Amino acid sequence: MSAVAPAGAAGPAGPATPSAEPPLLSVQDLSVTFTARRGSGRSEVRAVDGVSFDVRPGRVMALVGESGSGKSVTSLALTGLLPARGNRVEGRALFAGEDLLTVPRARLADLRGRELAMVFQDPMSSLNPVVPVGLQITEVVRRHTGAGRAAAKERAVELLGRVGIPDPRRRVREFPHQLSGGMRQRVMIAIALACDPRLVIADEPTTALDVTIQAQVIDLLSTLVREQGTAMLLITHDLGVVAGVCDDVTVMYAGRVVEQAPRRELFARPRHRYTAGLLASVPRLDGPRPERLTPIPGTPRDVVAWSEACAFAPRCTAGDDACRRGDLVLAPDAGAGAAPGHLVRCVHPAPVEQP
Amino acid sequence: MTAVLPPPAAAGAPSAPGPVDEPGVSLVRGAWRRLRRDPTAIVGAVLVAAFLLVALAAPLLAGYEPGRALPGNGVTPSSVPGPSPEHPLGLDASGVDLLTQLVYGARQSLVIGVVSTSLGLAAGMALGVLAGAFGGWVDVAVMRVVDIMLSIPSLLLAVSIAALLGQSPISVMLAIAAAQVPIFARLLRGSMLAQRGSDYVLAASSLGLRHRTVVMSHVLPNSLGPVIVQATLVLGTAIIEVAALSYLGLGDGNPATAEWGRLLVRAQARLQSDPHLALLPGACIAVTALGFTLLGESLREALDPKGRR
Amino acid sequence: MSDDEVLLRVRGLQVHYPGRGGLLRGGGPPVRAVDGVDLDVRRGETLGLVGESGCGKSTLGRAVLRLTEPTAGEVVFDGTDVRALPREPLRLLRRRMQMVFQDPMASLDPRQSVQSLLAEPLVAHGLGPRDSEGGTGAGGPRPSRRAVTGWREARVRELLELVGLPGSAAGRYPHEFSGGQRQRIGIARALAVEPDLVVADEPVSALDVSVQAQVVNLLEDLQERLGLTYVVIAHDLAVVRHISDAVAVMYLGTVVEQGRGDALYTAPLHPYTIALMSAIPVPDPVVEDARQRVLLSGDLPSPAAPPSGCRFHTRCPFRQATRCHDEVPLLREIPLRPGLAGSGLAGAGATGAGSASGHAVACHWAEEVASGQLSPRQVEATAAS
Repeated sequence: MSAVAPAGAAGPAGPATPSAEPPLLSVQDLSVTFTARRGSGRSEVRAVDGVSFDVRPGRVMALVGESGSGKSVTSLALTGLLPARGNRVEGRALFAGEDLLTVPRARLADLRGRELAMVFQDPMSSLNPVVPVGLQITEVVRRHTGAGRAAAKERAVELLGRVGIPDPRRRVREFPHQLSGGMRQRVMIAIALACDPRLVIADEPTTALDVTIQAQVIDLLSTLVREQGTAMLLITHDLGVVAGVCDDVTVMYAGRVVEQAPRRELFARPRHRYTAGLLASVPRLDGPRPERLTPIPGTPRDVVAWSEACAFAPRCTAGDDACRRGDLVLAPDAGAGAAPGHLVRCVHPAPVEQP
Repeated sequence: MTAVLPPPAAAGAPSAPGPVDEPGVSLVRGAWRRLRRDPTAIVGAVLVAAFLLVALAAPLLAGYEPGRALPGNGVTPSSVPGPSPEHPLGLDASGVDLLTQLVYGARQSLVIGVVSTSLGLAAGMALGVLAGAFGGWVDVAVMRVVDIMLSIPSLLLAVSIAALLGQSPISVMLAIAAAQVPIFARLLRGSMLAQRGSDYVLAASSLGLRHRTVVMSHVLPNSLGPVIVQATLVLGTAIIEVAALSYLGLGDGNPATAEWGRLLVRAQARLQSDPHLALLPGACIAVTALGFTLLGESLREALDPKGRR
Repeated sequence: MSDDEVLLRVRGLQVHYPGRGGLLRGGGPPVRAVDGVDLDVRRGETLGLVGESGCGKSTLGRAVLRLTEPTAGEVVFDGTDVRALPREPLRLLRRRMQMVFQDPMASLDPRQSVQSLLAEPLVAHGLGPRDSEGGTGAGGPRPSRRAVTGWREARVRELLELVGLPGSAAGRYPHEFSGGQRQRIGIARALAVEPDLVVADEPVSALDVSVQAQVVNLLEDLQERLGLTYVVIAHDLAVVRHISDAVAVMYLGTVVEQGRGDALYTAPLHPYTIALMSAIPVPDPVVEDARQRVLLSGDLPSPAAPPSGCRFHTRCPFRQATRCHDEVPLLREIPLRPGLAGSGLAGAGATGAGSASGHAVACHWAEEVASGQLSPRQVEATAAS
């Protein structure tokens, strides 16, 4: 890892265009409904509602949203980690032709770790505190590749070195609590990489880390995608991270996709009022300093059901009676100069700013 | 002020939970709501309520006087009279109506259980607050005393107290209470120490609240949850202990007192011929203790802040 | 800077925690959470305190209010030596120095209604209808109990409206609100006693992105309306840049750079600040793709055993032989010179206009780094455990 690196050096040059390569993961119309008993009746909450997106090899798809948007539930549903009871999952998630939502548990367990790896937000609770980190890596290697003890150990040392952990030969014997937060997240990534997975699902992988460490981890993940051709689904709330490493962006609000576009397109021409509002509300480190920020009013809790109206309408400055309809579709952006693959679910899309 | 903007006109749709004009749901009320929906809590509450009802209404339910042998009762060394219209459960080994004995036994258990647990709770909480509120050397000193109390087996303590004060209900209560003091003291202290490190306690001191106010109106109320739960659980144990002490002959000296443990002792000799004499009081003890335990456990869950949503 | 202007003056502040040693050896070396910090906060202004976790910024904030007892140094608030105050005068002084916490769920007692949460500080300082100015009023007829209660209820509603919540919120409990609304309650509570100084520890970082701007704007509005002085502690440099008049960057218990206005952002001088700013992602792909990122190797060293010389030298990509290792760099003011600007972000073209006075840095090689004489290089990974 060199000390100075252009952040997007290895990234695709020029505006990203949807690749012609077939998707490795194709999520189609995914819905997750939580059911709960409430007194005598039952209440249902639709946490994810008809979500579709594709993740292609060598590319990063970002799933962006804030609390309650359904982004994390989506990742749990894809990896089969939702609780066994109290929810209903519908739709399809084709991973190299197999539907992750219907494959038998044993097959899913086999896929997880070998072809499909996960990195979570909190490495401390994802690592076993009483097992040396090296052993936690060799376990995965041996289970999925059938490698011998010695070979697996060599592999663990190699992996730790690859994720930038200094002195990996010593570190394999250490326990999670002996490592710093950034180191632990590297170990998690090393475990995820153990079997050269084809798809990595990273759920807020840098949220618990400091910015300088975050930069290291992001750098590591994007190198992986560029060099190994891994497909990655990155779930985050941080638009800065999205701007830096992702190729395509899916923005979720209250369980539905409200906008989907290639990275540069989304940031240059945000069309959904939520995306535009979000971009306008965050203070930036570059550029002139505005007198005041332009917040989105209300809170993410102020939603209406999608079946009645646009869920964002209560917080939207452009919301009017036209938004009160239950059949809002995610349609290609009809605005002038829209890039192919730019989808938006909005009656009154935000005007495109001329540069 | 741009703060909370009213929802734009178009979206007059019902807003998600927000501050509207209705009373808020406090922690206690929320816990109560969860309790009402918890089957464990309902079973526990029913058992405890039945026990309380029986104990309070003993004179109405019993029909006879406890501890007084009925003349010409027909108790022989090998058998006791079985159920009859006058005596639904028959007579016990000393010729008293068994139902009466059981019903008054509930009353006795309740009185001793509640009084001893209250004593233990009061003393334990006093020590716990002392240690938890002041910390430092006070904490160290109090906790050493508690450790010493904890190191004496409760039965040994009971024997000593009974030897000192003679066999009386009071010594039974004191013995049981003494065994409980360290439990409550340690629990409250630990709970208070945990609360003292929390943000809202820091927030309270940063507002310039007096130390006393911070402790009494923030730390203590928030530390009481586990203690209340423990008290419920301990009440169940206390009822068993009353019986155990009687069983060992350390209970109330008055032979006329109806007490479940004593009924067990007397039934021992007739275990072969009349097992119901032991089974019925045994069941009373077990069911009552179970009721309190179930209630305590579901209280613990209901008061857990993590369960709140 | 005259003494009038400065509301809070901190000199040589240290907070050391007793270290934890092995089982048999007793205490280890103390943890130097804050190790010699000087700050001036001017009346009506906002000082931003930035740094990563473990740099001591939160401890510093608490030490200023004496919520954590400083080990050494001086804290002077409006002419009063805060460290010298006995308990009761300190408690009364707290009326003028308040704190807003990061996690409003944790900092609000879950058992209390909003009414009681907001009335509590009023009660503690004996505020009533007769004197919203003085403390426990002596002399004159005491207002009736009902008058006091009525006044407090009205005051709670007033406070709620001040932070943009409806008066009906008073009867509710903290867990019934969203994160942003709870933070508003936390702010209202701090403002209940009409303080002069508010220390806000990560006031928006626990909130949803779309709500953060609301709270930032609220803090700014309140400052303008009530003439408040802020110390805002945050790890988010963009938020701090937006809200602050002056910024101090902390690393491992010390201030490594401080500056007024945008000076520090347009021309960061300390290698740590440069790395920190280059690491922060900007929500703009065009900027992101063009950026030069200075990646730091390794982790934060333990504050119980800070590195010798410059504390940053173990991770510094500009480190020079021996001097950085041997000699502690002092915080020194750097006069603005042509050529010193422009090492900031691409896109932030404006050179720090006006005087660079007040822009201070603790680096031996700041001039050389800024002028490009020294360029960053790879440092061998220094394992810190």
